[in-house]
Amino acid sequence: MKKFQLGEFEEVVLLTVGVLYQQAYGVSIKKEIENRLSRTVSVGALQSALVRLEEKGYVQSNSGESTQERAGRPKRYFELTSNGAKALEYTRSIRNELWDSIPKIALDLKFA
Amino acid sequence: MSNDKEYLPPKILLYFFKWFCRRDLHAYIEGDLLELYAETRENSTKRKANIKFALDILQLFRPNMIKSFAGLNRLNYFGMIKNYFKVTWRNVIKHKMYAAIKIGGFSLGIAACFLISLFIKDELSYDKNYKNVDRIYRMLTVNSDPSDLTTWPSFQAPIAEVLRNDFPEIEKVGRLIPYDWFDAGNNQVKKSGEEKNSYEEGFAYADGEVLEILEIPMVYGDRSAALSQPNTLVISKRKSEKYFPNENPIGKTIFLNNDESRPFAIGGVMENFPRTSHLQFDFFITLKGKEFWPGEQSNWCCSNYNVYLLPHPDTNPDELSEKLIAIRDNYQIPHFRRQGSMAADIMEEYRSFRLQLVSDIHLESADIYDVFANGDIKLVWLFGSIAAFVLLLACINFINLSTAKSANRAKEVGIRKVMGSVRGHLVNQFLIESIFFSSISVVLGSFLTYVLLPYFNALSGKSLSFPIQEWYLIPLLVGFAVIVGILAGLYPSFYLSGFKPIEVLKGNIQHGAKSSKLRNIMVVFQFTTSMILIVSALVIYRQMDFILNKKIGFDKEHVVMLWGANTLEEKMTPFKNELVKKIDIQSVTTSNYLPVSGTSRDQNEFWKHGRSQIDIGVGAQVWGVDEDYLNTLGIKLTDGRNFNTAMASDTAAIIINKTMVKDLGLENPVGARIINWKPWIVIGVIEDFHFESIKGGIGPLALIYTNRGSIASVKIQTKDMSATLESITTTWDQFMPNQPIRYTFLDDSYARMYDDVKRMGNVFAVFAVLAVIVACLGLFGLSAFLTEQRSKEISIRKVLGASLRTIFTMLTFNFLKMIIISLAIGMPIAWYFMDSWLADYENRVDLGWDLFAISSGLVIVIALCTVSFESIKASIVNPVEGLRAD
Repeated sequence: MKKFQLGEFEEVVLLTVGVLYQQAYGVSIKKEIENRLSRTVSVGALQSALVRLEEKGYVQSNSGESTQERAGRPKRYFELTSNGAKALEYTRSIRNELWDSIPKIALDLKFA
Repeated sequence: MSNDKEYLPPKILLYFFKWFCRRDLHAYIEGDLLELYAETRENSTKRKANIKFALDILQLFRPNMIKSFAGLNRLNYFGMIKNYFKVTWRNVIKHKMYAAIKIGGFSLGIAACFLISLFIKDELSYDKNYKNVDRIYRMLTVNSDPSDLTTWPSFQAPIAEVLRNDFPEIEKVGRLIPYDWFDAGNNQVKKSGEEKNSYEEGFAYADGEVLEILEIPMVYGDRSAALSQPNTLVISKRKSEKYFPNENPIGKTIFLNNDESRPFAIGGVMENFPRTSHLQFDFFITLKGKEFWPGEQSNWCCSNYNVYLLPHPDTNPDELSEKLIAIRDNYQIPHFRRQGSMAADIMEEYRSFRLQLVSDIHLESADIYDVFANGDIKLVWLFGSIAAFVLLLACINFINLSTAKSANRAKEVGIRKVMGSVRGHLVNQFLIESIFFSSISVVLGSFLTYVLLPYFNALSGKSLSFPIQEWYLIPLLVGFAVIVGILAGLYPSFYLSGFKPIEVLKGNIQHGAKSSKLRNIMVVFQFTTSMILIVSALVIYRQMDFILNKKIGFDKEHVVMLWGANTLEEKMTPFKNELVKKIDIQSVTTSNYLPVSGTSRDQNEFWKHGRSQIDIGVGAQVWGVDEDYLNTLGIKLTDGRNFNTAMASDTAAIIINKTMVKDLGLENPVGARIINWKPWIVIGVIEDFHFESIKGGIGPLALIYTNRGSIASVKIQTKDMSATLESITTTWDQFMPNQPIRYTFLDDSYARMYDDVKRMGNVFAVFAVLAVIVACLGLFGLSAFLTEQRSKEISIRKVLGASLRTIFTMLTFNFLKMIIISLAIGMPIAWYFMDSWLADYENRVDLGWDLFAISSGLVIVIALCTVSFESIKASIVNPVEGLRAD
C-alpha cells in the first residue's frame, strides 16, 4: 500500500512522538531521540520532519503552556493520529515480514 | 527549571530567524530554541552556546520553514485593484464636479507642459546635425572694457590668410559676409537671356571653405570646387527649382540688379538650409578673387567678415583663443598705430578673441552683435519654469481637493482598516486613484495640445509639429502620467490612510484647523503665482504699447517703401518727379538707409578734423540720403541747412544729429570740420530720432548726400490708400517694366522690429490666463466644498434671521484674507522681476502703483466671482434643505 510513505527519520520521529505520549514537543522529542539513538538531531531537521508529518496527517498539534525558560513562548505538543498509528503498524509489519523472510543461513555470519 | 537566570542569545540571530520563519510556527520554534540555548549555556561556555544557536538557526533555513513572501500578496492584487478602480469610479460619478475640476486643471497643466517642451526641444536642436559638431567654431571679438562690454563676430579681410598660414592647429578657415553689403543681402535676379527681374533675399558672400566647414550638402556640383572660380555663386535647391526647374544649372549665368556687365556663373546647388540652422541663405557668392575696393583684401581697417573655423581634433579652444591674440598684436594694432588712432590702445588693453561653437550660436548669442535672428537661452529657461509652475498649480489643486473631501472617504478608510487593510494598502489605493486621474488628464492634455498646436505656433513664431510618429511618445506619456500621479497623490494618500478607524467610525472627523492651514498656504501660492504672471503680462503690454507709440522723432505713418529702386539708375529723378506730381503724394526720397531693420547700416569712426591721432573716435552711423530725406520722414533740422543739389561743395557736406554733436564735443557744429576716412563739413544738425530699436539709446548719426539709394520712401496723404498704391504701381511699371514693384509700409516694418517682445508678451498673457484659470478652478472647488460643509450652520443662521448679505460676507471674507496675503507677497516679487527686465530698455514705462492696483483689482474680482457663485447659491437655499437630514 503506497499511501504510507515514511522516510527513515520521519519514522523515528513518529515513533518518538508515540513514546512521549502527550509530552511530545520540539525539545523533548529531540532529546529523546538523541538519548535513545545516540545520534545528534538538528532542530531544523526535526521541525521540518514534524511539519511534513503533520501535512501527511500522521500527527496533530496543539498549543501548550508557556514557561519561564522559553521566555514566554508557547509550546507545541504533538500526538499521533489514527492515520499515524496505522502508518506505524504498516511499516512495522512490512519490516517484520522482510525480517522473517531472511533464511537463517544469511544471518549466520560465523564464517565471515 | 530551577535557575532564575535569563539567558538571551544574540538578538540579531533572533531577528534574522523572525524574518524568514513562517508566522504560524515562529513562536513555538523560537521557544524551543531558547530552551535549548538556556541548557547549553548552563553546561558550557557562552561562546559555544552562541555558535550552536547560530547553527541551529541556519539549519532551520529550509524551504518548508520559510514564510512565503510573494504568495501572500499575490493572492490579493488583482482582485483588490479591480475593487480600487470600482470605488474610484463610483467616487467620480458621485462627485462629478470635483472630478471634473481635478481632471480639467491637470489637463491644462499637462497641455501647457507639453507645448513648452516641444518649444524647448526645438530651440535646443539648432545647428546640432554636423559630423564635427563639437569642433566647428565661429570666431568672436571680445571687448572687455567695462563701460562698453561688447562681443561681435566681424573681422578684417586679411584674417583668413593669416589664420591659414600662422596657425597649424587650424584645419580649415572660411569667411562669410552675411550683412546687407554690396551684393549681399537682397538683389534683383535675372536669368541670362531673360528680361524679367525677380526680387530675392538671402544673399551672402562666402569663401569656398565655408561649404566644407559647415558640411553643406550639395545637390549638384562638388563642395570643394563650387566656389573656387571668381564671380561664381552657389544657389539653394529651392531657388534652383524656381529658376532652372528640373535641370542642372551649373555653368549657367545670372545677372544681379540688371547689371549685365558683371555676370555670375552658377558653380553648384546646395540643399536648402534646415529651419534649425542659424544660417538661412539661398545664395552664396564667392569671395574668390573679389576685392570690394582697391587694396581691400589686404587692409586691416574694416571688419566686415564673419569667420568660421575647423581646428584639428583635440585642439583646445581656449588655448587657441589665447594664441589668436597674436593676430591682434601683429596685425590689428600695428595698423591702427600707423593711422595714429587711439583705437590701438583700447585694443591692447581690452580686446581678445573667443571661439564659439556653432552649435551654441542659436541660444547663446543674445548679447553678441550679429545679424542672425537668434533665440535666447534665457527665454528657454523662462518658458520652461512657467510651464512647470502651471503644472504645479494643477497638482496643488488636486492635493487640495483630495484632502478637503477627505471627510467623505473617512468612513471608507475606517471600514477598510477594520476589515484588515494595512496602511500600505490604503496608500496604494489612493495612489492608484491619483494615477488614474493623471492618466485621463494626460490623454486629455495630449489631445488639447494637438488641437492647440497651430495657435501656439502662431503665438511663438515657430512651426512645431505633434510628435505622433516618435517612438518615445507613448512611453514618455505613460511615465509622465505615473510620475505626476504619484507626486500629486503622495500627500493625500498619506493623509487619508492615516485615519484611525475608531475615531472615524465614531463620527469624529477631525479635519479642522491643522489641515486647512496647509490648504490655505497652497491657495496663497497659487494666487501669488497668478498675480506675478498677470503683472508681468500687463507690464510687457504696456511697454510694447509705449514703444510702438512713443514719439520717435520721425514720421513713420503713411510712408510706403519701394524696394529695389536702385535699378532705376538715371531714371531715378524723373521717377521721383512723376510721383510727386500726384496729389496724394507729398514727397519722395531715396536712400539705402531707413530707421527700420532690414535696411542698410554703415558704422564709421569720426574725429574732429586734425585730431584723429589724439582723440578717441566717435563711432557713428553714416547714411547716404538725398535732399528730400528729412522732409519725407519729418525729421527736424535744428541748425544749419539741408543738402542742396545746386551746390557742388555739398559732396563733402554732412549733417549730424545732436548726440553726435555732443559726443564730438563741437560747440559750433555748423561749419565744423570732421573726418572719418575723408574730410567733411557739417552743414546742419538734426534732432535725435530713434533709428535703432528703442531698447538701446540714440547713437550718433551722420547723413551724407547720395542719390543712388535703393529704397524709395513715399510719403502719402490720402483717404484711399489702395487707389494711391495702384497709381504708384502704374508709374513704377512705366519706368521699370521688367521688375515687379515691391513695397512695404514703414510703420509695419517698424512694428515688426519688436515682434519678439510682442511674442513674449503674448505668451506671458496666455500663460497668465492659464494659471488664473487653474487657480480659480481650485478656489471654486474649495469654496464649494467648504460651503457644503457649513450648510447646516448656514441654515441655522438663516432661521435665526441672518440676511443674504451677512451670510455672503461671512463666506467670502475667509477667502479674501488669503487673496490679500497672496497679493502682498506677489507684488514685490513681480516688481523685482519686471524691473530687471525693463532695465534692458533705455526707454521704459514706469512701474507705477497704478499698474499694481489694476492687477490686484483684477485678481480680487476674479477670485470674488469664483467664490461668490457658491456663496450666493448657499445664501439663497431654503434653510429647510440644510436641516432636513437632522
